[in-house]
Amino acid sequence: MSLPRHLFTPAFRYQHLGRSFAAIVGIMVFIATFATAAEAVLLTASYLWGRTAETLLTVEIPATGDEASMTQAERIKQATSLLRAIPEVSSATPLSNDEVERLLSPWFDKPELLSSMPLPTLIDVERKSGADLSSAKIKSVLKPLVSDVRVNDHGTWTKDVWRLVRGLTLLGGLTIALTALTLVIAVSLICRAVIAAERETISLLHLMGTENIDIALHFQAQASHIAFRAAVTGFLIALFVTSALFFMTHNLANLSSLGWQHWASVGIVSLLVPLCATVIAMVTARISVMRLIETFP
Amino acid sequence: MLLSFENVSLSYAPNHNVLDNITFSLVEGGFYFLTGTSGAGKSSLLRLIYQADKPTKGQIHLFGKPLLPNNHKKQAELRRKIGIVFQDFRLIPHLTALENAALPLRLTDVGEDYIQRHTRELLEWVGVGDRMDAKPEELSGGEQQRVAIARAVVTKPKLLLADEPTGNVDESTALKLFHLFDELNKLGTAVILATHQSHLVYKFHKPALRLVQGRLKV
Repeated sequence: MSLPRHLFTPAFRYQHLGRSFAAIVGIMVFIATFATAAEAVLLTASYLWGRTAETLLTVEIPATGDEASMTQAERIKQATSLLRAIPEVSSATPLSNDEVERLLSPWFDKPELLSSMPLPTLIDVERKSGADLSSAKIKSVLKPLVSDVRVNDHGTWTKDVWRLVRGLTLLGGLTIALTALTLVIAVSLICRAVIAAERETISLLHLMGTENIDIALHFQAQASHIAFRAAVTGFLIALFVTSALFFMTHNLANLSSLGWQHWASVGIVSLLVPLCATVIAMVTARISVMRLIETFP
Repeated sequence: MLLSFENVSLSYAPNHNVLDNITFSLVEGGFYFLTGTSGAGKSSLLRLIYQADKPTKGQIHLFGKPLLPNNHKKQAELRRKIGIVFQDFRLIPHLTALENAALPLRLTDVGEDYIQRHTRELLEWVGVGDRMDAKPEELSGGEQQRVAIARAVVTKPKLLLADEPTGNVDESTALKLFHLFDELNKLGTAVILATHQSHLVYKFHKPALRLVQGRLKV
């Protein structure tokens, strides 16, 4: 069986159905690639951030305490020693004044204001993996030294972030699923239009003894050729736009924690989109054609 | 036995039989005319043979086997043993004469070399050897019908059905085409040729089935 390669070309080319077919596949691949890449980056980055953040606590020692007899530097030194002595603590590291100023600088118009203010000292505390160390326990250890100590447990807000990430992941998954469904419906409609335009040719093939499956396979081959080229184009445009967006927003979302292996996995997952779209278009074309031509004489 | 109709009727609407209780049988290798005025039922009878329609009543046997319209695989197999020529040629407009004529061969397992060689020889034989690369719109009516005939016989079918094959060509071309069908029959293909051009039928001494308002008069 070797039907002429361009048997259904007129409907695809001259009636612009091929162009519509390619445009729909390309647009759907663009949307799905964009959603997939964004979702993969979000999942990877939030996993990496969350894994680090959920073990961290920040201890805030106010600049002016009620123990005036002791200098701030001495208090920090003692507080750090007390923290390091807690068995569940893996490390306790005071942040330098410069680092604290850097963290606060986005909230101040004039940087000179920062140097004139009595800034608190922050100590980053890292819990041992799996250790049950609450902020209340740290407060009780430091209370004799610093009565108004504050402790921020990052594990609390990372839970909220995880909930948000899960919601966004579901939304991304839904977008991809709806895109796939739209692709199926659009390809099915275009295939029906092509088959309607080629009704005479198909009836003739029937009368020559061609079986439906052979017509459907031939149609599928021609449709998948168009779909693949459109899918690759949609993918490349999405890749370009996604890269440009990440480049433009890299100051807002720091993705430096993502290594080359993470970007490679994002790329591989995204690369599946045009392949899946081509397969979906191919199978949809075949099933639509099979169903329709069964009704022909 | 090539073909037999047993009490076959066909109707597209209630109480109106296009074909009414038709019974006849034809032997293999023969040349048969099917005559009658327009609307007599010639095309409908041919459509029953190539299974574009199902009989409302009766039984049809082709090549000794009953036609089973609901079995698509058997239907396709049977259709591959039949060549059909239509009044309106039904050539695919964007394919060349060579590609059109070769189309049925592409449904078989023969190689590309054979397809090219055999189709070219056949187009030479039907008289359009110098127009192989022309598209249908570039061919005259007679040339298009010759290409359609080549397409119908390219797989060497056991039966050739021609439905008013000379309806769209002039008188002298029609006569030449009738001779072409006669030559094909001499090469072993059974021919059933439907025509309303009775004066041409008389020039060939072949059996004729005459349809009058859906009824058969031999």
